[in-house]
Amino acid sequence: MGEIIHPFLLYAGIAVGGIGVAASLPRRRVSPQLLGGLLGAIGLGMVLLGFTLRAADRTPDQMPSIYFYVFALIALGAGLRVITNRRPVYAALYFILTILASAGMYILLSATFMAFALIIVYAGAILITYLFVIMLATQAPSEEETDSLTPYDAEAREPFFAAATGFALLAVLSTMVVSGVRGLPRDGIATPPANELASLPRRVERALRAAGTIEPEEQLVIGSSGLALVDAQARTARVGIPADGSFTSIRDVGLPEDLAVRNVESLAFDFLNRHPGTIEIAGVILLMAMLGAVVLSRRQVELDEELKRQQARPLGSEEMA
Amino acid sequence: MTGLTPVILASTGSPAATHQGAWWMALIPFLPLLSCVLCGLVACVRPIRSTKLPAWITVVSLGVSFALMLATYGQQREGWASGASVTTAWEWIHLSWGHEPGQTLIANFGFYMDGLSGLWMLFVTGLGTLIALYASEYMAHDKGLGYCRFFAAFSLFVFSMACLVMGDNLILLYLGWEGVGLCSYLLIGYFYKKPSAVAAAKKAFIMNRIGDLGLALGVMLTFFHFGTVQYAELFPLVQPHIDSLKAGRVEDIPLLVQAIPVLLMIGAFGKSAQLPLYVWLPDAMEGPTPVSALIHAATMVTAGVYLIARTMPLFLVSEWALPVVAWVGALTALLAATIGMAQFDIKRIMAYSTVSQLGYMFAGLAFLSSTGAAFHVFTHAFFKATLFLCCGAVMHGFAGQLDLRRLSGVMFMRGWLIVGVAMLVGCLNLSGFPFTAGFFSKDMILAEAFVTPGYQLLGWILILTAGLTAYYTFRVFFRVFVGPRLFEPGDEVHADDDHGHADHAHDGHAPAGDGHSAEPPTPQPHDADHSFHPHPPGWAINTVLALLAVLSLAAAGAYFIEQDRHGWVGSMVHDSTAAQVSIGEGEHAVHAAAFRHDLTHEEHAHATLLGMNPHDVMYFVSAIVGVIGILIAAALHGPKGIGGLMIGSRTEAARSRADELLPRLGPIPRWAQHKWFVDEFYEFLIRRPLYVASCIFHLIDALLVDGLVNLFGWLPRRMGKSARRAQSGVLHQYAGQMAGGLVIVLFIVLLLTA
Amino acid sequence: MSELVLLAQSGFPAPMGGLTLAHYLFVSAAMFVLGVIGFLTRRNLIIMFLCTEMMFQAAGLALIAFSRFWLNQTGQTFVIFVITIAAAEAALALALVVLLFRKRESLSADEWSEMSG
Repeated sequence: MGEIIHPFLLYAGIAVGGIGVAASLPRRRVSPQLLGGLLGAIGLGMVLLGFTLRAADRTPDQMPSIYFYVFALIALGAGLRVITNRRPVYAALYFILTILASAGMYILLSATFMAFALIIVYAGAILITYLFVIMLATQAPSEEETDSLTPYDAEAREPFFAAATGFALLAVLSTMVVSGVRGLPRDGIATPPANELASLPRRVERALRAAGTIEPEEQLVIGSSGLALVDAQARTARVGIPADGSFTSIRDVGLPEDLAVRNVESLAFDFLNRHPGTIEIAGVILLMAMLGAVVLSRRQVELDEELKRQQARPLGSEEMA
Repeated sequence: MTGLTPVILASTGSPAATHQGAWWMALIPFLPLLSCVLCGLVACVRPIRSTKLPAWITVVSLGVSFALMLATYGQQREGWASGASVTTAWEWIHLSWGHEPGQTLIANFGFYMDGLSGLWMLFVTGLGTLIALYASEYMAHDKGLGYCRFFAAFSLFVFSMACLVMGDNLILLYLGWEGVGLCSYLLIGYFYKKPSAVAAAKKAFIMNRIGDLGLALGVMLTFFHFGTVQYAELFPLVQPHIDSLKAGRVEDIPLLVQAIPVLLMIGAFGKSAQLPLYVWLPDAMEGPTPVSALIHAATMVTAGVYLIARTMPLFLVSEWALPVVAWVGALTALLAATIGMAQFDIKRIMAYSTVSQLGYMFAGLAFLSSTGAAFHVFTHAFFKATLFLCCGAVMHGFAGQLDLRRLSGVMFMRGWLIVGVAMLVGCLNLSGFPFTAGFFSKDMILAEAFVTPGYQLLGWILILTAGLTAYYTFRVFFRVFVGPRLFEPGDEVHADDDHGHADHAHDGHAPAGDGHSAEPPTPQPHDADHSFHPHPPGWAINTVLALLAVLSLAAAGAYFIEQDRHGWVGSMVHDSTAAQVSIGEGEHAVHAAAFRHDLTHEEHAHATLLGMNPHDVMYFVSAIVGVIGILIAAALHGPKGIGGLMIGSRTEAARSRADELLPRLGPIPRWAQHKWFVDEFYEFLIRRPLYVASCIFHLIDALLVDGLVNLFGWLPRRMGKSARRAQSGVLHQYAGQMAGGLVIVLFIVLLLTA
Repeated sequence: MSELVLLAQSGFPAPMGGLTLAHYLFVSAAMFVLGVIGFLTRRNLIIMFLCTEMMFQAAGLALIAFSRFWLNQTGQTFVIFVITIAAAEAALALALVVLLFRKRESLSADEWSEMSG
């Protein structure tokens, strides 16, 4: 544990953060939200700094990325506001902020496609639904009532118990993160990088032509397995001049430096090659959810008997006629 | 009869040898059963329910049974000398679980007729018929469902008694034994709305259960040891033991065999109201009087005597059984007589006299005089039935009045002469007045007491008891039937009374609300009781009483028939399984010598009473004792002079010269009046501890057993109650529990893996 | 010392700007815990559902971090799943909330504590 963070720093930071969160939860009389937020930021910041200090010890030449801290601060601070704000609308808006900060961290983690997908789906779709529902499900404030706070929003329930439980959970989780779990095999998790460029012959060809490495009549040699003969490790590709179904004057050329599989491409390959069933299942889940939502929120239309008879009579009279 | 168990037939001439009886012998028990069913059917038909039909059905069926019995007697009397006749109605129980002897239980619905059962059946059916006739009038005020119930139970009783007496095996005897117990219960509790009657019925039933347990165990032990319960097979198997007894080899008799009669004896004590178990019989007088006469005086209570007489061979081979029977019998006779002296309820006095006379019979059996016991049973049946029916007639006529202090001069009232004379005959018999039947039968037992070695003391006790019996019998007679004609009616007026009391009808003699108190009653001149006149008995009661009185006297004649075989009864008993022992002095000697080795032969060979032959001198001794008893009664309770027979003052009727003597006797009369506190003693000795024990067990049951059971219910409920708060339906609590649980689980994982 | 810790010490494959997996995992855990606390303390059903969304978000962040750490795309594929589930859950949960609000005119979770079927 000591190699990653000093234990005292970890647990002290978690404790301070817990006190801060507990303090900033809404109360009826006084809730020192600003003080609580500061305490929480200090606590969690202590832990993150602790991580950074030890990481800097090992790799002194690398400057820490300032973006991570900004995003983390925004995400956690907005998260704190989500759970402490008395007004549901503001809570939802702060959650959007959390989402945006998370998307930033996704980008830091080179998951660009997922970052934008997150923004589109979460911030764009789900949270808008939330906002609609919040507005639907709120009583309109009466004339004399300027403050439309509902009593159940004004007061947190057992804040200290909840904060204690939550930060105990955080302490346990952090301990697991920093001390590790015995017996997790490394090779069982790591998978060899897929040779995805071999599945993208047109793109490799275009890059090679743009770099002027190959002649206009030359093409990538397609192997018997239907894939281009691209060696991702050695960064070479086999090219030749096609003639009567075979290639002549075959040679290996080096790939350009900037030729790499993009995030969305590799995600798509992973998604479709290695988890082809998941997309079907996800589709079915979404369909079911849609059906469920429709059934649940449908308003019962109650036609009384009189109305039914009135509507039935003209049909009957038409038949008579 | 199957081939599985070889029928062991005794040598020719032995009483155990049997021959086929006539088929219609089986009708004797089944006609009363038919009558019982018919009475039940009559009760179901509304129009004829409230007629006297059940009574006539019963009388006719019992009469036909009696006629059949007479026919059986006439046809088979000669045959009984060579062995019993057996009629098997059907195969009843036939269980076999192996091929060895003793692994097959056969008990047929077979009827075994020899001298002993013949004697018993003759007076059971004969007296049954007469008493049913009597009851037809006596119970008339209760016509309807009760009347049907009475006669149905009455018929069922005769059927059960016939099974008991005529059964050819011990299991059929047991069936009859329980049957008569049931009928006794039903009839004692006939007035079931009366708490005392219900209590008496329960008491009788429970007391009998104690005895019946002994009988049941005895029967089981008999089967266990001998492998059969049929008389025809059983008694030949006992014969080797008797032979070894005669040869003086007592040690050859297994202890198990000696235990059988002890168990049977307990059953006999229960049914025949002997010493430890007698207390039910006086209370049984709560039943209607005909029932008291038939069941609790004449027939059922003699079942114990019958049992011992029937299984006499088994009793002979036991060292303890007969001495115990002798002592119990003699002491019961004395105790019951002393209690009888101090009672005021005439029916109760008769009940105690019954207990006392049964004691005589048991003593007679123990003195190896089955003849004496059977003869006394026979004569007692007639005169005790007479006495009871006379008491019943008085009770019937005086609206349930039974207190001898409130009745006087009944015999001289209009229409009561027959009752009075019958009562006199009964009393003379009971007190053993010379040349009455009771005199001869009692003498036979008393004489045997002095003949049998070692029983002289019991003989003197029984002679004393005879004097006491004479006293208390005539105390009743002098106070109730002679003297000034005065009466005080009871608290019960019959529905058929023609004095406008129809609306005041009671079921039986209801508990005393006004008249019966422990204090001596204040005498009231009878003209003060303007609305009540005693109604004398009708033709049925009078006929029956006259007939019974004549029969009571005529029973003495049985003594003079076949004098060489100890009279007619003696000859009957001789032709039965009880025969081996009712022979004479030689048998006494052998039996006594076998068990009492200290006696020399001279002592029992020359048993004497006052230096003379006991059989001869006993006539004079018992006659003198009886007359002395009567004279004392006359002196203490009798009217003054001849004129006093009919006239006198009310005070004299209520009080007697005996009252002046009472203070000098100290507390003894009071104790005797309270029955020597035996009931209280039993209450204290048995009921109290049982009650306390049951309370303790109830506590244990309630606290421990129920507590344990309740604990098993309470524990999950308690747990559920405490766990229920977790299921509050409050979403936040669930979430908090989940989060807390997650923390705990992760912490455990951390501890295990770090 | 486990393999995972060794890996974490070695840092992310460049360029990660001196950050380790632990940074991201800690931020993810903190976000998750904030969601938990919010779920436990707030009474408004909508906010409680928002908190569950925040927990989803924390899980997604951790998955993306792992994906980057192992240099494969499986983590990101799983995040697609997470988003799908979150969307489905949001649709159903909000439909339920609307239904409940129509019945009681209140969004308080305490209103629905009588456990009636």
